[in-house]
Amino acid sequence: MFLRFVIESLRRAPKRKAMTVAAVAMGSAVATAMLGVMLDIGDKVNRELRSVGANLIVTPRALGAPVEIAGVRAVPVGQAAYIPEDQIPKIKSIFWQLNITGFAPSLTAAASVPVEGVWFHRRYRTPDGREQQTGIRDLNPAWQMDGRWIDDGDSAAVYDCMPGAAAARKLGLAVGSTAHLLGHDFMVAGILRTGSDEDDRVLVRLNVLQEILHRKGQVDSLQVGAITKPEDAFARKDPRRMSSAELERWNCTNYVSSIAHQINEVLPMAIARPVWRVADNEGRVLSRIGGLMLLIALAALASAGITVWSVMATTVLERRGEIAIMQATGAGDWLIACLFGAEVAMEGLAGGVVGALAGVELASWVGRSVFRAGIEAPPVLIPLVIVVAVLVALLGAAQPLRRSLVTPPALVLREGV
Amino acid sequence: MFWKFVVNAVKYRRRRLLLAFSSMTVAATLATTLFGIYGEIEDRVRGEFRGYGANLIIAPAMGTATVPLAAVSQAESLGAKAAPMLLSTSSLDGQPVILAGLDFARSQPFTSYWRVQGARAAAGDSCLAGTLAADRFNLAIGRIADLEGGACKVTGIVSTGGPEDNQLMLPYDRLASRAHVGGVATLISVRADGSRLSQVRDDLQRRLPGTDVRLIEAVAQTETAVVLKMRAAFFLLTLLILAITTLSVTSNFSELVLERSREIGILKAIGASERRIAALFVSESVLLGLLSAIAGYVTGNLVAAQIGRSVFGGGFTLSASAPVLLFVGAVTVAVAIIATMLAAGRIWRIEPALILRGD
Repeated sequence: MFLRFVIESLRRAPKRKAMTVAAVAMGSAVATAMLGVMLDIGDKVNRELRSVGANLIVTPRALGAPVEIAGVRAVPVGQAAYIPEDQIPKIKSIFWQLNITGFAPSLTAAASVPVEGVWFHRRYRTPDGREQQTGIRDLNPAWQMDGRWIDDGDSAAVYDCMPGAAAARKLGLAVGSTAHLLGHDFMVAGILRTGSDEDDRVLVRLNVLQEILHRKGQVDSLQVGAITKPEDAFARKDPRRMSSAELERWNCTNYVSSIAHQINEVLPMAIARPVWRVADNEGRVLSRIGGLMLLIALAALASAGITVWSVMATTVLERRGEIAIMQATGAGDWLIACLFGAEVAMEGLAGGVVGALAGVELASWVGRSVFRAGIEAPPVLIPLVIVVAVLVALLGAAQPLRRSLVTPPALVLREGV
Repeated sequence: MFWKFVVNAVKYRRRRLLLAFSSMTVAATLATTLFGIYGEIEDRVRGEFRGYGANLIIAPAMGTATVPLAAVSQAESLGAKAAPMLLSTSSLDGQPVILAGLDFARSQPFTSYWRVQGARAAAGDSCLAGTLAADRFNLAIGRIADLEGGACKVTGIVSTGGPEDNQLMLPYDRLASRAHVGGVATLISVRADGSRLSQVRDDLQRRLPGTDVRLIEAVAQTETAVVLKMRAAFFLLTLLILAITTLSVTSNFSELVLERSREIGILKAIGASERRIAALFVSESVLLGLLSAIAGYVTGNLVAAQIGRSVFGGGFTLSASAPVLLFVGAVTVAVAIIATMLAAGRIWRIEPALILRGD
C-alpha cells in the first residue's frame, strides 16, 4: 500500500515530478562542478606558474655556485668541479619524479659574450628505461623567439646557435647569419628574447660546447622545474632535527626543500638549492587563488542549496490539499510524513545522481575550455553530492509539511484543492 | 486598465509571486556579489605576483657598462617601483669576490623572497653576505669582512638560490664611492603594474634612449596567463551558476500561468483576445524579473561589501557598476519572459466553457 502510493504519485504527475527532479539535478550539478573545479584549480595554476622558470638550481658541490659577474658565469681557476651529464637523469628516480616537469643541464664558457651549452628539447633515458624529452624549451615556455629552435638531434646542423637579443645586437647577428665563437663558425637559428640573463648569452648545443672545451660529459649547472606544495611552518623545520616519523612526512610532501634534499641524495657531487624568488611566490599565488575559489564555491553551494530547498518547499505547499484529504480519511501524521519523505527522497536521489554526473562533465568542460586540460573530479564527490542533495531536499520539504500537518484539514479543503 | 490588472495580479497572488521573486532574487544577488568582488580578486592575485620581483630590467645599451641613475626617478614618475644595483669586484683573503651595491630602501619590494638571517638591509659600514660567499670566506653575522679598499661588518646572511648567494651586498652609496663612480647603476630593476606593463616599457625606452629596457618575459607572461585563465574560469562558473539558478525558477513562472486557467477562461469569455492575455502575463513576469534584478543588485552589493571587508580587510573597494546591473537585469527578465512564453501556449487552448463549468 505504502509503495503503491509512492509509485502512483510519481506516475500520476510525471511532469511536475520531472520539474522537481530537474531542479535538484541543476543544483547538484552546479555544486559538483564548482567543487571539482575548486579542488583542481590549485594544480592547474601550479602548472601554469611553472612557466616562470626553474624553481631549483643544482650546482657542483666544490664550486658552490657559479661565480656570476654581470651575467657571466665564471669558473674559479683550480676548481674543475662538475656534474657528470650521464648521472643527471637520476633525478627522475626520486620519490617525487612525477612532479619534475623538466630540467636543463648547461655548461658555460667565456668568449666575446658568454656561450652556454644547453639541452634544448633533448631525448634521454630515465633510470627505469623510459624515453623522455626535456630541456630549456620545456622549462621556459614564456620565452619569446624569432627564427627557429635548435633541434638537439639534428646531425646536419651541429653548429647552430641561438643568441639572446642583447648578445645578437652586440655581435651584429641576425637569423641566418654566422657567428664566430670559440674558434668555430655557428649559424644563427633563432634569436631569444627573455629579459633575463639569457639575453646576453649565446646558446649552443651542450655536446658541441663540451667537445670544443674538451669537457666531455661535464655540466656545471642544472635547472629543475618541479610542481611543489607551498611551504608551511613544518616545511621550514630543519630535517636534521626531525624525528623519523616527521622526516618521513617531510620527505613524502612535495615541498621544494624536500625535493632539493632528494636531488642531493641521488647527485651527491652537487648541491640543489631552491630558487626562492620562484618557489616562494608560487606558494603565495596558489594560496591566494585557493582562498578565492573557496569563496566562489561557497556562494555556488549556497545558491544550489537554496534552489533545491525552495523547489521542495513549493511542491509540498502545492499538495496541501492531498495532505488534508489523507488526514480527513484517517491517516496518521507519521504515515503521511513517511509517504512524502519517501517521495522527496526519491526525487532528491534521482536529481542528485543526474546532477552529480552532469556536474563532473561540466567541471571537465570548464577545465578543457580554460586550462586546455580536463578536470578530474575526485570520485568521492559523486556520492557525497548525492547524499547532500537528498538531505537538502528532505530538509526543504520538512517545514512546509509540518505546517500542513498542523493546519486543520477542514480549513484547507474549504479553500478548494 | 491593463496596468491595473497587472498590479492587482501581483497584489492578490502574493505567495506564488513571492516564491518566484525570491528564487530569482537569490540568483541575481549571487551574480552581483560575484561580479562585485571579482575586481578585487584579480587585484589581489596580481598583487601576489609582485613577489616575483622585477618585470622590467633597465640594462646598459650596447657599448656602455652602466645606466644613468636618473632612470630610477623616471620609472617612479611612471608609477612603477624601481631599484638600482651597482656591481663591482674586490678581493677578500686574496680571492675575488663580487660586490653588489643596493639602495636597500628602494630594493625592499624586490627582495620579499629573500631568506635572511640577521638584518635584511645594510647601512653605513655594514654589509650582507650571500650564503655561498659566507661559506667560502668563512663569514658569520658579526664578523668583519676585510675587503680590499675598506672592511665591512657582516650583519646578515642572505639565501635566495640566485646570483645574490655569491655576493657581498653593500649600501649603494658606499660601493659608488669605493668604485669612484656616481650617478650610475649596472642594472635597474623595475616593477610596473602588470596590466599596463608594455606601455610602461615603451615609455621608459623612449625616455631613456641610451639603455636597453627589457621585459622579463617569464614573469610578465605567466602573470598574464594566470590572470586571464582565472578570469575565464570565474566568468564561466558565474554564468553557469546564474543559468542554472534561473532555469530552476522557470517552473515557477510557468505555474503562474497554469494555475490561473479559470481567470484566463473568464477573460476569454468576456472577449479578451489571446494576444492581450499573453501580453498581460508577460508584463507581469517582466515586472517581477525587473524587481528581482533590482532587489538582487542591491543585496548583492551589500553582501559583496560585507564579504570584501571581512576577507580582504579595510582597503576593499566595491566594483559596483551599471554593466553588472544591466547584465543581471537582462538575464532575469529574459528568463522570466521565456518561462512565461513556454506556458503561454495554453492560453490559446483553454476553452472558457469547459473551464468555467467547474472542472
